[in-house]
Amino acid sequence: MSQSLFFSPRKMWVIAGSTVTQLVRMKVFYFLIPIALLFIGLQFVDGFWFNGPDMLLPEQELRAHKSWCLGTMMVFSSLFAIVATALLIPGDVEDRTLYSILCKPVPRLDYLVGKLLGVVVVIGVAVLVMDLLLVLTLHFRAEAKLAEMIELMKVMKVGPEEAEVVKRELAEHGSTWNLQAGVLAHFLRACVIAAVALLISTFSNSTIFTIATSVMVWVIGSFQSIARDGIFRSQEMGEELTWADRVLGTLISVVFPDFQLYEAVADGAARAQEIVMGDVGKLLGLTGLYVGIYVVISWFVFSDKEL
Amino acid sequence: MSDFAAVEVDGLVKDFKGSIRGKRVRAVDGVSLRIEPGEVYGLIGPNGSGKSTTMKAVLGLLKPTGGRCAVFGRDSSKVDSRSEVGFLPEAPYFYRHLSGRETVNFFGKLCGMRGRVLRDRVDDLLELVGLWEARDRRLRGYSKGMLQRVGLAQALVQDPSLVVLDEPTAGVDPAGSREIRDLIFGLKERGKTVFLCSHLLEQVQEVCDRVGIISGGRLVNEGSLDELLAVENEVELVLRDAPPELLEQIGALVRVTHGAEMVSAGRARTTLEGVFLRETGGES
Ligand SMILES: Nc1ncnc2c1ncn2[C@@H]1O[C@H](COP(=O)(O)OP(=O)(O)OP(=O)(O)O)[C@@H](O)[C@H]1O
Ligand SMILES: [Mg+2]
Repeated sequence: MSQSLFFSPRKMWVIAGSTVTQLVRMKVFYFLIPIALLFIGLQFVDGFWFNGPDMLLPEQELRAHKSWCLGTMMVFSSLFAIVATALLIPGDVEDRTLYSILCKPVPRLDYLVGKLLGVVVVIGVAVLVMDLLLVLTLHFRAEAKLAEMIELMKVMKVGPEEAEVVKRELAEHGSTWNLQAGVLAHFLRACVIAAVALLISTFSNSTIFTIATSVMVWVIGSFQSIARDGIFRSQEMGEELTWADRVLGTLISVVFPDFQLYEAVADGAARAQEIVMGDVGKLLGLTGLYVGIYVVISWFVFSDKEL
Repeated sequence: MSDFAAVEVDGLVKDFKGSIRGKRVRAVDGVSLRIEPGEVYGLIGPNGSGKSTTMKAVLGLLKPTGGRCAVFGRDSSKVDSRSEVGFLPEAPYFYRHLSGRETVNFFGKLCGMRGRVLRDRVDDLLELVGLWEARDRRLRGYSKGMLQRVGLAQALVQDPSLVVLDEPTAGVDPAGSREIRDLIFGLKERGKTVFLCSHLLEQVQEVCDRVGIISGGRLVNEGSLDELLAVENEVELVLRDAPPELLEQIGALVRVTHGAEMVSAGRARTTLEGVFLRETGGES
């Protein structure tokens, strides 16, 4: 109803601040404790547990550590984004706090963006903490491996140049800026999925429905590249694309966010591949686009909502 | 701005998608009313007659099916119409994790207030609604009446020119509802407009200049209190310390006057509210 285009960033921040307070007082950060324990616990699990009796190369071991940690961060931040967003807005509607807020001169867009911003800030802090843990554990692990290797090379009488190469390779698998790009990818993915949950919660009013649907979107978004690859492949093999395939393919890519690029960047980070800055830029742009679209649609749905 | 009515409701109709079979429920059916600046207006009516719905439409929380509402000449659907309005919803509810002070502070910020002005205002209001002692407790532990008081403080935070109160005294103890009555008098004195609804008719009678009676979504009667309450052909006489002989004489006079009739005589009674207040030590 309040289709007035005027909005004020300050009110958005007030809403965002109150959302952060709310989440903090719900003690969400306690979730970080088991995650910290997991990251630290991974330190003591060596390659043997991952890959059977064959000894792992040191960089393989570090890579495994990184993919476990990054995977945990991805799952946690995305699930958190969904659950937090799904709890907040339907909660406000249900217990009528929304009345009291919207009867103040607060544009509905400010309310929505404020809520989303609050969730994003909390996710950001949680991701930062996890990132710090990852960097620390990885650092100690890489140091330990390095010491082991130096010991080994001494025994095997490896020349100093070769030893340098080994050291450099090992360092690449430690904590680097590449790794940070992977962390960023997961954070951005969580932001997109929070916006999805925001959109769904504007018309559903039910926490359970919002969570279930958002998880579905998240899963489909993560696997849609595979689905589309399937369609493409049948095309390459000379099969005619059926009309239904085309419609389905387009529909999926319009309705569901495509997390392929996010996946690629994070995967590259775990493998210590060189990350192209362009990809990070693209990731930021894509995130902005998705979040923007979802917020605008949410706004349209929400501004006609009866309370 | 003073050319406009504080509240103008024009042919308001509101349907809700009610029953499961999709039949619509008409909650408000063609209500029109006009509240002038500085007036205290009371809406009374049975449960489910559309009082709260009318108020929500005035606040722009509901989209009217028909008709329009305006506040100080600004259409209720516009955000800026809300800057001069404070609203106390019925059975108000706020974030339970905030304290009373944080709650009022939050709403003040939403109205664009900040800094010292806001802090002083919050403290004044908490004092005013009698929550000073409980100001730092979380709302989770507030009683119904305390929530009502926070709601009132929140409604008044930006010192709005129009205050809309949906059952301001619901769940508040008698002394508290006296205080709320005095508060409404205070608002009126300062030239504010008050639009309230309540089931406590004595209170409505006490504070309101004009009253509308709504039933089944229709405004069935409206007028100033004098108009509504005056009984055309009766006069009331209240005497203090009158000896029985005097009463005897008055009775005799009435009997000899042609056409006049004594309808009732007896001891004047106070209200139950009055007795309650006297016994529980609430000031009157
Ligand atoms: N959101 C809604 N959805 C469906 N019906 C509604 C809704 N809100 C109100 N109604 C209906 O509209 C009618 C008027 O309700 P309203 O809340 O305005 O009554 P009221 O006069 O405030 O009653 P009370 O004295 O109990 O507070 C009722 O029949 C109610 O069932
Ligand atoms: Mg009501």
